[in-house]
Amino acid sequence: MLDSPTLDEPGSARRTAPRGPTLDRLSCIDARGARVKIQPADVRGRFQVRKRLLWIALIAIYVSLPWIEVAGRPAVLIDIVHRRFYLFGQTFNAQDFWLAFFLLTGIGFALIVVSALWGRVWCGYACPQTVFLEGVFRRVERLFEGTPAQRKRRAAAGWTTARVLRAVGKYATFGVIAAALAHTLLGYFMPVRDVLRAMTSPPTEHPTAFLFVVLTTGLVYANFAWFREQLCIVVCPYGRLQSVLYDRDTINVGYDRTRGEPRGALGTAGAGDCIDCRRCVAVCPVGIDIRNGTQLECVGCANCIDACDEVMDRIGRPRGLVRYDSQRGFDEGRRQFWRPRVALYAVLLVVGAGVFAFAATRRAPFEADLLRARGPAFTLESDVVTNAFVLHVINKTPDEATFTLRPEPDARLQWTLPITEVRLASLADQHLPVLVRFRAADLPGGGSARLHVASPIGTRTVEVRLVGP
Amino acid sequence: MSAPRDVVRAHEFDGITEFDNRLPNWWLWTFYLACIFSFFYWLHFHVLKTGMLPRERFAAEMAEYEARRNEIAVSDEMLLAKAQDPEVLASGAAVFQGTCLPCHGPRANGVNVVDGQSILLPGPNLTDRFWLHGGRPVDIYRTISQGVPNTAMIAWKGVLGANKCVDVTAYVLSLRNTDVPGGKEPEGTEYVEEGVR
Repeated sequence: MLDSPTLDEPGSARRTAPRGPTLDRLSCIDARGARVKIQPADVRGRFQVRKRLLWIALIAIYVSLPWIEVAGRPAVLIDIVHRRFYLFGQTFNAQDFWLAFFLLTGIGFALIVVSALWGRVWCGYACPQTVFLEGVFRRVERLFEGTPAQRKRRAAAGWTTARVLRAVGKYATFGVIAAALAHTLLGYFMPVRDVLRAMTSPPTEHPTAFLFVVLTTGLVYANFAWFREQLCIVVCPYGRLQSVLYDRDTINVGYDRTRGEPRGALGTAGAGDCIDCRRCVAVCPVGIDIRNGTQLECVGCANCIDACDEVMDRIGRPRGLVRYDSQRGFDEGRRQFWRPRVALYAVLLVVGAGVFAFAATRRAPFEADLLRARGPAFTLESDVVTNAFVLHVINKTPDEATFTLRPEPDARLQWTLPITEVRLASLADQHLPVLVRFRAADLPGGGSARLHVASPIGTRTVEVRLVGP
Repeated sequence: MSAPRDVVRAHEFDGITEFDNRLPNWWLWTFYLACIFSFFYWLHFHVLKTGMLPRERFAAEMAEYEARRNEIAVSDEMLLAKAQDPEVLASGAAVFQGTCLPCHGPRANGVNVVDGQSILLPGPNLTDRFWLHGGRPVDIYRTISQGVPNTAMIAWKGVLGANKCVDVTAYVLSLRNTDVPGGKEPEGTEYVEEGVR
């Protein structure tokens, strides 16, 4: 199935040179740089069951989330064009973008904590690359073209009509699924009913959205039809962070060398439990041999665990020759959960996520910014000083609100507020003129005043800095 | 264990050696294409100057934006023509309701009538023949757009944009000389124009 990348010397006994994937080269790229397509065998087991249940849930969430509303607004909508961001009942505008830093660092550190504890569980169970590749596209491929053994047989038989039809059917289905995924993704950036409307109207009415969907469909298609594990191995930085995030207590997929070695066919005296059936190699979607140890390519999919457990069941040996364990667990038989690394990552996670949650919910429901009107800082007529301002009011709540201006009474000041009440829609804003007059003798050099902006959602007091001669 | 084909490179650091495995072809080719692309990119932007650099593009966009937003070519004829356009008048009326009404009154005559009492508002009567800052259409536009220093008449161009200033000027032009009764006393100088208003 997988070509042995290591050449045997002519005439040497096959058993002396180790076969199969080695640590020295990638299995998916051959010696000339060309791609070797990996065709993992079918596998059944408890981890496959858990993965598939999780994938069904994740895909259901991905597809349904653009349709879900919280407090009358979309649950998740990143409306870049109109600068409105909705996240489970909270509304954000462009001014709040600084919060994205804490949200992203919170998510990043969550991933880092999980990696330090349990290795690449994200990769094998939740990453969209795995969910869609293993959960959707490979199943379609399997449906149209059969098991790897059947595919090899059919390839050797050449291009028959049946084979052409299978290929056309497979790639056409890939295209349809890719388009569906792309449109769903658009639903996170554009209100989902607008997406539906756009799908039934000419592309010229929404060129950017159309271009987005075309490009995304192309990329998704190329990724899942061809690129596949190259993304995990070459492009994604997460796998390469492993070497920094792991320690001897990180749980990941591994082979129990003590129990398994020396390998030998079933019945060999003095041999370990590994009968060198190579099922773990056959089911691996990234083309490694887990018995060589933790490797960059391994995405923690647990196919090898299920495959080996099945074989162990059949030969009457205990499961777990390939299992989830830490290096210390394999060497010493014990695991350690709490260590300084985990504590540090957890603290960083709490800081990132905590600051975001705190800041996001404690934001002011509206902005009232006082700006000086264009022109001189003050004007002087006989002995009356005038300061001209513009008050910028932004409603940041999901609902409409009315704002009322009320100056703090001060006998020395004469306020001119042409507009004292304004009704604003969600995320709408308005500029209101504000004039303050006073006698130069009352406030030499200027002074300060206060203006209250009241609304049913709260009151803000604006400090008005007055300037005078 | 390495096969005869695997080449180990000559250097060694702390016992770590390096294989000379072939890079994936797709990677090499995207690299080569990127090199070729960057050569033409360099020609386009830095040699032949057929493309605008970000700074130049920003300056061009700002110039176009300024021209569109703040400097609409106005003339008496253009504004009077706008005052005949129902769509412009509708837009101007909407702006007036939202922005001008608090000072100039709901009937644009500088007063607000509450429970039979007439309250004088800060803004002048726009329906009479008398204008503080000039009665020509371009004068009215300038008053609205650039404002009057020292008063509540701010430079509305900065807040509404030139288009809305034109719209509300057209609306005011449709109101002038209508002499709505009960309004503020005339202020400023009379403006008489030959022909129709």
